Amino acid sequence: MAKYGYDDTPFLPNTKWRVHDSNRPQPPVVWPGWFSTQEAPGEPPSDAVILFDGKDLSKWVSARDGGPARWKVENGYMEVVPGTGDIQTMDEFGDCQLHIEWAAPAEVRGEGQGRGNSGVFLMGRYEIQVLDCYENPTYADGTTAAIYGQFPPLVNASRRPGEWQVYDIIWLAPRFDKNGNLIRPAYVTVFHNGVVVHYHTPLFGPTTHRQTLPYTPHPPVGPLRLQDHGDPVRYRNIWYRPLKGYDGEPEWRDWTPIVMAPRNP
Amino acid sequence: MGGAVVASLAVAFLLGVVAQVGYEDTPFLPGLKWRVHDAKRPQPPVLVPGKTFSDPPSDAVILFNGKDLSKWRSVFGGPARWKVENGYMEVMPGTGDIQTMDEFGDCQLHIEWMIPKGTGGSGQGRGNSGIFLMGRYEIQVLDSYENITYADGMAGAVYGQYPPMVNPCRPQGEWQTFDIIWLAPRFDGDKLVRPGYLTLIHNGVVVHYHTPVMGVTGHRRLPTYRPHPPVGPLRLQDHGFPVRYRNIWYRPLKGYDGEPEWRDLTFVIFPNLPRP
Repeated sequence: MAKYGYDDTPFLPNTKWRVHDSNRPQPPVVWPGWFSTQEAPGEPPSDAVILFDGKDLSKWVSARDGGPARWKVENGYMEVVPGTGDIQTMDEFGDCQLHIEWAAPAEVRGEGQGRGNSGVFLMGRYEIQVLDCYENPTYADGTTAAIYGQFPPLVNASRRPGEWQVYDIIWLAPRFDKNGNLIRPAYVTVFHNGVVVHYHTPLFGPTTHRQTLPYTPHPPVGPLRLQDHGDPVRYRNIWYRPLKGYDGEPEWRDWTPIVMAPRNP
Repeated sequence: MGGAVVASLAVAFLLGVVAQVGYEDTPFLPGLKWRVHDAKRPQPPVLVPGKTFSDPPSDAVILFNGKDLSKWRSVFGGPARWKVENGYMEVMPGTGDIQTMDEFGDCQLHIEWMIPKGTGGSGQGRGNSGIFLMGRYEIQVLDSYENITYADGMAGAVYGQYPPMVNPCRPQGEWQTFDIIWLAPRFDGDKLVRPGYLTLIHNGVVVHYHTPVMGVTGHRRLPTYRPHPPVGPLRLQDHGFPVRYRNIWYRPLKGYDGEPEWRDLTFVIFPNLPRP
């Protein structure tokens, strides 16, 4: 096999890799797919786990009773059937890149939190708000794409009701030690319609209403849950990719201590 | 007069009603000055997102709109001498790197690039260019579609430091997107107090997440930091290949609630967490 790099360059400080190291693993090849348009959902990357492809709810169950998810599926989207309750994936996952598209009802009804309300609950616990906030003010931390009850989005990048909107989320699950103590909070980065609205933001704890809750220990994976808040909100094109580390490492990790550590002479 | 007073009172009353969209009796979020659902917490600024994945949002600063290089100059001084046609710019080999007149730091940056069909060569010698944040920190541009090179030198690498986590390259002739979130390094005198951080989404796929850059990019040598201001130009590299760019824009990245800068809130919220 031909050599593509160098074996005589210095080691990157505090790592096992040389600059341009010929032995450093080649990153896995992924077909990126295509972006969505208003008219049609895009194609997920080739390494994505597809949670909803527009056809059926075979990957979802009722969050209430574990039975079949009873939301409507038609024309390539699913729609909340009010009163049937939240639904969640059978798949459980943690650190990830998550893509999800949604549309608030084109027919505007209600105001504030009462207009096109739903929610994306990461690991079944941590909510990114879904709401029709196009010309519809509400409390800042309840705005579309808010980390509900904790952080407003940096900006309000809402599209009009009826139009497809996109959340691209990078999620790091919280970590607990063997005694159940928090050692790393959950972190989230969110692009709403292509605009950064949260960047590496630590969550206070699980989502609730009108109060704060401390973290309670849980496994590093959980289901994705979508909320029935009584409004016929639609979803399509839902997929995730587990987020891993560099060079085949199984988990993302913060390299800051490595980069900031003193360099050996 | 009296009518005007009544009218302004009515307006004040209405504004008061609008401000009552939240709560004033909820607990404070630990470490912050805001209550849960705080009625007084500022409304996030409204913007209009781009129509497609690549159109700029309404608050973006446009660095290249496909028409001209009026926002760019040669790094040697004088006008940028790259070719502009059909909505893209193309490296004119030998004319040198170009950089923006605008200088900026923490940001969301969108840039698209393409390796023209028929580009020959192999390894680092096929469609090589680069995107230098603040003129110093390079994200590699290269034809890495079925073209192997050292991992930390492929398309999307933090050159000489971090390979991309995966390789989502498109083939020659197809436009590729980089969506970048960049935090500029911070210095206190000569001392580095926060490294630069990079998040990169290549063709919609995350390839770096909150990655601390090790220093200024070099070839075959170690990256090191030297103090500089928190802003700098965006520089595009002439590495001798006619690589194309289009649709370049950025948005300054700010903090929550009108704060001028992004900041890491981890130890604000969790002062007792073990520090790394």
